[in-house]
Amino acid sequence: MSVNTFESMGTVISIRLAPDVDTEAPDAARAIAPAHALADIRRVFDDLDRRFSLYDPASELSLIADGSLPLSGSSPEMRGAYADALGWRERTNGAFTPHRPDGVLDLSGLVKSVAIERAGRVLERHGHRVFSINAGGDILTGGVPRESAWITGITDAGDRTGLLTQVTLSPGWPAVATSGSAERGNHIWLRPDTDRSFRQATVIAESIVTADVLATAIIAGGQTTLDHVTDRFPVAVLVQLAGGALLANPAFRALIVRRPDGRQSLDLTTEPSHDDAAPSPVPESPERPA
Amino acid sequence: MRRSSTAIVGVGSAAVLVAGWLAGSARFTTDLPVAPATQLPIAEKTPPPTDAGTSPLPTPTEAAPVVVAFNGPVIETKYGSVQVQVVLTDGAITDAIALTLTDSSETSVEVSARAAPILREEVLAAQSAGVSNVTGATYTTQAYLSSVQSALDAAGFMG
Repeated sequence: MSVNTFESMGTVISIRLAPDVDTEAPDAARAIAPAHALADIRRVFDDLDRRFSLYDPASELSLIADGSLPLSGSSPEMRGAYADALGWRERTNGAFTPHRPDGVLDLSGLVKSVAIERAGRVLERHGHRVFSINAGGDILTGGVPRESAWITGITDAGDRTGLLTQVTLSPGWPAVATSGSAERGNHIWLRPDTDRSFRQATVIAESIVTADVLATAIIAGGQTTLDHVTDRFPVAVLVQLAGGALLANPAFRALIVRRPDGRQSLDLTTEPSHDDAAPSPVPESPERPA
Repeated sequence: MRRSSTAIVGVGSAAVLVAGWLAGSARFTTDLPVAPATQLPIAEKTPPPTDAGTSPLPTPTEAAPVVVAFNGPVIETKYGSVQVQVVLTDGAITDAIALTLTDSSETSVEVSARAAPILREEVLAAQSAGVSNVTGATYTTQAYLSSVQSALDAAGFMG
């Protein structure tokens, strides 16, 4: 397993690649040198950053923000991203929005996870089936490492050097994103009626974009959005409240890496059989190392 | 017998808590997972035997904790019927489990998928598990240097 890091979008991207490569992949010949795939990924991040950064006054989005370029005259990629963001605004009942309170269009809530998603496709095209891409704490995994698992730590909002818990990511639940109220970027704006006790929200989903958008929406929309998200989306959610208390849905509980000596009474909660319960996304046999 | 009456009070309290939770209004620290009613090792309302000839109170040094599960009464809530199982360890409530959500309407289905309080102790994982990645609120390039992820990357640790 090789570990590679580079900087883009104001953060650090770490990529882990397993040595085994699918030689039937379209660009497999180049997979022998992962540097090619890594260079392609770097280009994905940098290209998106150049177009969507509001820190770069020359970016296309900055030109739209300062009024020198009408959105209607922008690139198809810009308009596509805007349409996607509006779709998410609709699906989150307005909790996720591409507009800042001052009206400026800001798509940074979407761009990083879009970059991660594209990077995952780059790796697969190069024959890398087992990988993880971590961009500033938002993670997409591919496959399952041999003799191991994608064990992922979730940091404690009250102690950045400590972990709240660990979960197993796998092909059914490959992506995780976390948003926090303390360190929220410019793309999260609390609604006036939002419960400000939501300090950190972690969402695990089939898609990194879904995970990222919904984690952002939960912080922005509070309890109302949390209930909406767990009702409507097949996601696993962990929320840390300001006082340190935790909220988790059943799907999240199933992904927790249990202590080998886990307490008997609490272990009861992870037994399968949800026949007459919700059509929840809880896997039939939750990942539980022996 | 004292233990038994404590347990009954406990069942009632937990049932009220569950009802409050389903109504979406309660905030409390007791863990209330939604769990299936099958295959639970229920010791049906059998208080642990007391030895009449010796001290009625267990000494702290006694070996195995006594774990007993009680099924509470079925309670009607606006989301359907709820029955709670309470797990007592040495007389203290250590777990409360919603055994049944009999109403199959969409509402109760939604409720069962919702996020509920979870004990921090329950989410703690094995410290020896091989963490390869860390998710948290977005770190900047600067924050990365002091992050757990930075240490994992530097070690090239895969787990």
